[in-house]
Amino acid sequence: MNENLFTSFSAPTILNQPATIPIILFPTLLILTSKHPTNNRLATIQQNLTQFTLKQMMTTHNAKGQTWSLMLMSLITFIAMTNLLGLLPYSFTPTTQLSMNLAMAIPLWAGTVVLGLRFKTKNSLAHLLPQGTPTPLIPMLVVIETISLLIQPMALAVRLTANITAGHLLMHLIGSAMLTLSTTNFSMTLLTSMLLALLTILEIAVALIQAYVFTLLISLYLYNNT
Amino acid sequence: MPQLDTSTWFTTIMTMLPTLYLIMQLKLLNTNHYQPPLTKNSNLQSHNTHWQPKWTKTCLPLSQPQQ
Repeated sequence: MNENLFTSFSAPTILNQPATIPIILFPTLLILTSKHPTNNRLATIQQNLTQFTLKQMMTTHNAKGQTWSLMLMSLITFIAMTNLLGLLPYSFTPTTQLSMNLAMAIPLWAGTVVLGLRFKTKNSLAHLLPQGTPTPLIPMLVVIETISLLIQPMALAVRLTANITAGHLLMHLIGSAMLTLSTTNFSMTLLTSMLLALLTILEIAVALIQAYVFTLLISLYLYNNT
Repeated sequence: MPQLDTSTWFTTIMTMLPTLYLIMQLKLLNTNHYQPPLTKNSNLQSHNTHWQPKWTKTCLPLSQPQQ
């Protein structure tokens, strides 16, 4: 039962070659670049979305934080496209792989921490102690804040992995339940199909939201440290 | 859980790194955001010429009172 449930999350292979490579590279094919001032609708939609997201995310940062805007824009585009493509049936979502999310979260988080430690050492170290704590509690609070700092990349990676995996798993389960119900009791099938439709809408929202949250948190860490 | 099978971790991470850091960023860099074309405001009646008034009067006949 366990093996059957999770097999859709194992890394796909075609003829024993890893198929993850073209699957991860695929969303980049869908981003259109053109040098014309007026484009077709798809390119215009993508450009407008990019500009809108850029404005939303980067206006709160100062000049130093805004140098990260390319990185954060490519991050949110990559995660959102990967998550949305994973909603297609029989597709593989790379963001369900803990390896990829860890490799995304740890360097970016470490970059913000190193930036803060290097350029605003006192300020970033002062974040380790909230204001107005009574003196005997200080050592314990520093330890607690350090642990909460060190757990940030792990939380980022595991949050993305777990959310997308759980959503996909739920859709698989309800879909297979619908299949077995269609032969025995047809009215339940309709109910379950409504559930599946609602779940799909939720998953679309989750896909976008997860991308947003990931990027937002990294930009928050950046804001704290620039 | 197949996500914890570390044999594929190297391939996944190595593919993700150039995709995210190289190709996506190049794609985003190569999209030109053009400004919408600005309309040229043409009001011929206002002249902000504050150099020598005598040159203004000779060079801009329309600014003189009609006779």
